[in-house]
Amino acid sequence: MARLLVQLKLRLLVNALKSSAAVQASFIISCFFAIVLAVGGFLVLSLFRGSATSVDVTTVIFTFFAFGWLILPIFAFGLDSTLDPTTLQLYPLRTRPLAVGLLAASCTGAWPIANVIALLGVTVGLASGSVGVLIAIVAVLLQVLFCLVLARFVTTAMARLLRSRRGRDLGVFLIVPIFALYEFFAQVVPRLLASGSLHASSFNGFDAWMRWLPPGLAAHAIRDASTGHAGTALLRLVILAAVIVALGALWIRSLNRAMVTADTTTGSSRVRGGALPFARPGALAAVAARFWIYQRRDPTSLVYWLLTAVIMAVVSASAILGKQHHPAVLLASAVFGAAFVGYFHANAVGQTGPAFIYEAAALTGRRELRSYFWGQDIALGVIAVPLLFAVSLGLAAAVGRVEYGLFVAAVALAGLGAGLGICNILTATAAFPMVKRAGNPMRQPAPGYQAYGIGGVLANLATVAVTAIPMIVAVVLLGQHPAVAWYPVLLCCGIGYGFGLLYLGVRLAAIAATQKLPELCQVALASQL
Amino acid sequence: MSAPASGLTGWNERPRTAGSAITVRGLRKSFGGDSAAGPKTAVDGIDLDIAAGSLAGLVGPNGAGKTTSLSMMTGLLRPDGGQILLGGLDVWTDPVAAKAMIGVVPAEARLFDRLSGAEVLEYSGRLHGLPAAEARSRATQLLDVLDLTADAKRLVADYSTGMRKKAALGCALIHNPSVLFLDEPLEGVDPISADVIRRLLTRFADSGSTVLFSSHVMELVEQVCDHVTIIDRGKIVATGTTDEVRAGKTLQQAFIDLVGPRATDEEVLSWLGSSSS
Repeated sequence: MARLLVQLKLRLLVNALKSSAAVQASFIISCFFAIVLAVGGFLVLSLFRGSATSVDVTTVIFTFFAFGWLILPIFAFGLDSTLDPTTLQLYPLRTRPLAVGLLAASCTGAWPIANVIALLGVTVGLASGSVGVLIAIVAVLLQVLFCLVLARFVTTAMARLLRSRRGRDLGVFLIVPIFALYEFFAQVVPRLLASGSLHASSFNGFDAWMRWLPPGLAAHAIRDASTGHAGTALLRLVILAAVIVALGALWIRSLNRAMVTADTTTGSSRVRGGALPFARPGALAAVAARFWIYQRRDPTSLVYWLLTAVIMAVVSASAILGKQHHPAVLLASAVFGAAFVGYFHANAVGQTGPAFIYEAAALTGRRELRSYFWGQDIALGVIAVPLLFAVSLGLAAAVGRVEYGLFVAAVALAGLGAGLGICNILTATAAFPMVKRAGNPMRQPAPGYQAYGIGGVLANLATVAVTAIPMIVAVVLLGQHPAVAWYPVLLCCGIGYGFGLLYLGVRLAAIAATQKLPELCQVALASQL
Repeated sequence: MSAPASGLTGWNERPRTAGSAITVRGLRKSFGGDSAAGPKTAVDGIDLDIAAGSLAGLVGPNGAGKTTSLSMMTGLLRPDGGQILLGGLDVWTDPVAAKAMIGVVPAEARLFDRLSGAEVLEYSGRLHGLPAAEARSRATQLLDVLDLTADAKRLVADYSTGMRKKAALGCALIHNPSVLFLDEPLEGVDPISADVIRRLLTRFADSGSTVLFSSHVMELVEQVCDHVTIIDRGKIVATGTTDEVRAGKTLQQAFIDLVGPRATDEEVLSWLGSSSS
């Protein structure tokens, strides 16, 4: 079974690579980032050789990797189709060999190998002596195995939850706390370390219990083996192996249920009123009404707004939690918030899916397509403008400079125009199909299009950051304590500048979309939502 | 003739043009140009003429090129070559005017699942330029005729396949198009709903509008269509009035005779069946 599923995974990969140049490019980019992770991770872990805090930092990095495996399959990259238990439901397979096979398939690929190579940096950075290195190798393999089993258990368990529409709707909201926790480890902790607000002694309390968590067990086993406590090291590894076996048993149990549990039917949901809002003539009002309703009824849309607030708070964390409380950091949060509003809503065609055909059938000319993009932007703006404004003021208040929040809001609103503008342009020029898979409540790029997703983030961040420079320069020139009269002036400038950028984005997007409407329709039809 | 579907007022008032409603010349499409296996020809230079007021069927085996042809005719898929005229308007050089006169029901009726049935029809009407009040009024009438009134305020996400198909048909009809394209319109639809759709399409064609739909159901095509085109491996193997194509046989038999049986020697499956070991 293991061999069969590994062969199946490799065959699916080869077939996907044969299908188009875009998939090949995406695979190469994915492999490139995997190599970066492998080499970079190895070097970073190697650098801690001789450091007094090497075991603590290794524990944090191991925990960070485990969180990565926990949330990335859900949030960004998704499962490969060999790991979706529902595709194997009809075959008379016993669960245990199936689980082993699925695990073997999940070990196959560039990213698991990159993880192993990266974590093997501990053989240089933490381990010493032949026993230490040997234990380090075993610990790394167990750590990666733990990550794989953890990811499979969570996604399989979620697959059961997500069998009904209501379950899927609820499942989406799990993303927010998981994402917030991940961002805390990935963004906040390193910054606090760099700023001196967090240091090795800060982990003292954490380390007392983190060392008994699976990633901590692996890291401390290496330290124990390297300091002559091979028995303790082995004991830690045995506990880690036991945790993996227990988690595997839970996974098998969950898999067993997932294989035989019938889809739950969904109770009907009635809407109030039954008529679309914005009853003005023209496509603009109709599209705005549709997007507005989706912002309220589509849980993914709600989650996107919550994630935007989380991202802004995380970026501001060093200003809020740091010693200096420098409010200028908040400007970065404005840029990130605006960029992610654009990113989350880019690729509207792929996110809409086959239903876009009904819009494409009516929106054939450039004028109509401008209405389409304006309609989307108006609906998003109705939420984004007050959200960015409120979060900017809230974060500034947390730093102790409420009035500075108006400057942050000015940058955020200028950035929002750029973010939505590039969002429209990306929708027209770099649309890609999205899929929803069992075990994952979020829409993800279809296989072979992951690079489009990453490219979207980078394009939005770069565009918003570059276009926000004039506003940031204006804020910096005004200094730390400007006259009160400048606040409304700068805010109005931000709004006007942002609107100009959005206007440009909409016009460019409409020109591109007019030329590519049939291709956009094919992208929409390829989406499986 | 079937009884007309009742409940619809104020539509089909536009005068229809006489002559050919759908004209296709040398339509071609290949896929997979950048794949290692090389391109696969899906549609290989088809010609087609459907008169205004026709209720025409496009039939063919799986993978024959029906959906690809319909997608190109409706401007959803860019052809490699050929010309498509709808009421004399070229779909690919004058898409705005050509698309304004058509309605489309794709094979997979994937609608906006977070809108209710009433909302999705109203949205479709307003996108096509109807005033909101008129779109709501027509949506109500169509939902009534399509037997969806009781579910008008339910989210489309909770609709069954057949209900989605009917809602999709409503979306395609709400702006009163001159030409209606449907891809497998009765797939997944219960017999009673299928009869409603049949009567609706017949009434629509009787008023001078044109319908072209693809289907695997030969009985349906034989029963309602006055024009049939059989497509196989991307080429048209027969086209004409239903009587001309079936040539005294049933359409099912004529189809099998023209396309040829696909199955090979079934003896190789000697292991299949409960009497085999």
